[in-house]
Amino acid sequence: MSELLDWLQFVLSPQMINGLSIGVAVILMALGLTIIFGLLDVINMAHGEFYALGAYLAFALLSAGLPFWWALALVPLAMLAVGYLTERLLIQRVFNSGDRHTLTLLLTLGLGIVMEDALKILFGANPLRVEAPISGATEMLGLFFPNYRLFLMAFGATLIAAVWLVVFRTQLGAMVRAAAFDRNMAGSLGVPVARVYAATFAFGVALAGLSGVLLAPIYSVFPTMGRDFVLMAFSVVIVGGMGSIKGAVVAGLILTQIQSISSLYISPVWSDPLLFSIMVLVLMWRPQGLFGKLGHA
Amino acid sequence: MNIRLKTFSTAVGLALACTAAAQNAPIRIGVVTPLSGTYAGIGQQVKWGLDLATSEINAAGGVLGRKLELIYEDEEANPAVATQKAEKLFQVNKVDFLTGTVNSGSTLAVGQVAERNQRLIATTVSFADSITGEKCSPNVFRVNARAGMQSAALAEWLAKEKPNASVFYLGPDYEMGRSTVAAFKHAAEGKGAKTAGEIFAPLGNKDYSPYFGQIRAAHPGVLYTSVAGNDTVRLFTQLSEFGLGRNLQIVGASGTVTSQNLPAIGKAAEGFVTGVGYSPLIDSPENKKFVAAFQSAYKTLPDLYGADSYGVMYFFKAAAEKARSADTDKLRGAMRDLQWNTPQGMKKLRAGDHQAMQDMYAVRVSDGQFRIVGRVPAEAAVGPDHCAKF
Repeated sequence: MSELLDWLQFVLSPQMINGLSIGVAVILMALGLTIIFGLLDVINMAHGEFYALGAYLAFALLSAGLPFWWALALVPLAMLAVGYLTERLLIQRVFNSGDRHTLTLLLTLGLGIVMEDALKILFGANPLRVEAPISGATEMLGLFFPNYRLFLMAFGATLIAAVWLVVFRTQLGAMVRAAAFDRNMAGSLGVPVARVYAATFAFGVALAGLSGVLLAPIYSVFPTMGRDFVLMAFSVVIVGGMGSIKGAVVAGLILTQIQSISSLYISPVWSDPLLFSIMVLVLMWRPQGLFGKLGHA
Repeated sequence: MNIRLKTFSTAVGLALACTAAAQNAPIRIGVVTPLSGTYAGIGQQVKWGLDLATSEINAAGGVLGRKLELIYEDEEANPAVATQKAEKLFQVNKVDFLTGTVNSGSTLAVGQVAERNQRLIATTVSFADSITGEKCSPNVFRVNARAGMQSAALAEWLAKEKPNASVFYLGPDYEMGRSTVAAFKHAAEGKGAKTAGEIFAPLGNKDYSPYFGQIRAAHPGVLYTSVAGNDTVRLFTQLSEFGLGRNLQIVGASGTVTSQNLPAIGKAAEGFVTGVGYSPLIDSPENKKFVAAFQSAYKTLPDLYGADSYGVMYFFKAAAEKARSADTDKLRGAMRDLQWNTPQGMKKLRAGDHQAMQDMYAVRVSDGQFRIVGRVPAEAAVGPDHCAKF
């Protein structure tokens, strides 16, 4: 009996808490993706590179001598501008063509490749280190947990709650949901649809950039950092339901817990194939995902 | 007639001058090493070691009256890139000899390129036993200590300090990681240690925290790891952040903690023990002279890679002077059973498998220094010759 308690306390619970800290970060990425898809019907293949860009901006600000907290505040603002311009100058050019899905997918995919190589040219291929702003570890019930990861969980959870509040409890959110449900009707009722589109895209991109800043001290900063992470976020979005906020949160938590707990028994390198198999199964049996699309549920 | 004679003598003179130029043309040595990526820090030590020895040799008159010239290519610690760069050096730059490969996969792959091009290569870094074992090649030499030799020294220390310990193994998931873990497991189990579990993480892994679950579940007394470069910085930092370092003796391959990544790891590296073929603290006149020259040139201490890469240039010099030529077959003959002087003392290259033999040390990190805590003589450490190809 005491052996079981020992296992629960010293083996399972740290693994689950660790999964939670990764889960919060993945959900932040997935939220941006799913909101952009839910409203604009655009699959943003450059999402991982926007995440990398956020991390690099943070690195540049830190190198310029600014403290981490300034980067945490400034990078999302800069990314809002980047996202807004991307939507207005690039996405809008192909948005109204009949082949919207293919064209926007190719456009963002190409944009991602260009961004990744631009980062490589500007900063080099080597991983860059960003110091965590909070060092040390907290001991709880005989377990050690790094303070920065605890901060990441608390901050991330607050952000997720804030996003949910904005989308479901404010007039701004109501406009976004209305535009997602029926753009023509929303437009005729006075919703500035074009601006709502650009602002929502910018919001999603800013979330990706913010995740980049938050995760830079844990994963370090390198040009291809977005690639692995965005695949996780994509599977979360597919399992949760394309365009669903609730789905992204629930699926993000479930998938990262599956990943963490399975890592106790199989090598963690196998957790990616495991997650993608779950994604394939969901696509086969419930292609709409666990929850419905934004504005529809 | 007069004019003809003049032309003739000019032609003869030109021909003579050309022959003389060919004899005095530099001996070109290709260096395929990671100048970017996870192993960039190792590549930096390799470059420093090679550059230092080359400038010393050239200042003293070169080899066979010819200067040495190094031509660098970045292999990004990627065997696919390494083979392209090696092919280019052999075919386009016409190098006489090649060195610098770090990733064991790159060394094996470049060895095959060398066989096709009828040239010789020497690695100064790669640990995988197979390079001078079952995958040995008549064109590949290794002047550094292989995984098995490092394990022998470390296992000896472990058996003495922590008898019958329960050991957990964590290695990078490729040739070197699998080979170092297998070698140490074999050596440690032979001396009474038990295996608590083993796990492999990809090269360049960013977050080791998902791997800690299995370590926690296994309750080991000793953790053996063979990750290297920046991977070690992340692994050790995360181990200490998550409080796993307490009550756990961490030991590892000689490339795990080096002078290059030690400052970045900081306190988390204290107490780490490894078996290694070099320490800047080796007390010999050759080593003191080398460390002083290295420090004054690069403002940092050499590590095993810097020392072995420095040594390979003197290996080449000794072989070329013994062979009186830079011709592949003559060089190969001269390199077999060659004895030459290095910062670690005399090394001997075993003819049967092209593996260098040298004394091995167990060293412990304390106050940022590699203190020598044990020593195994060359003959006891080198192990049997498993090469059947030549």
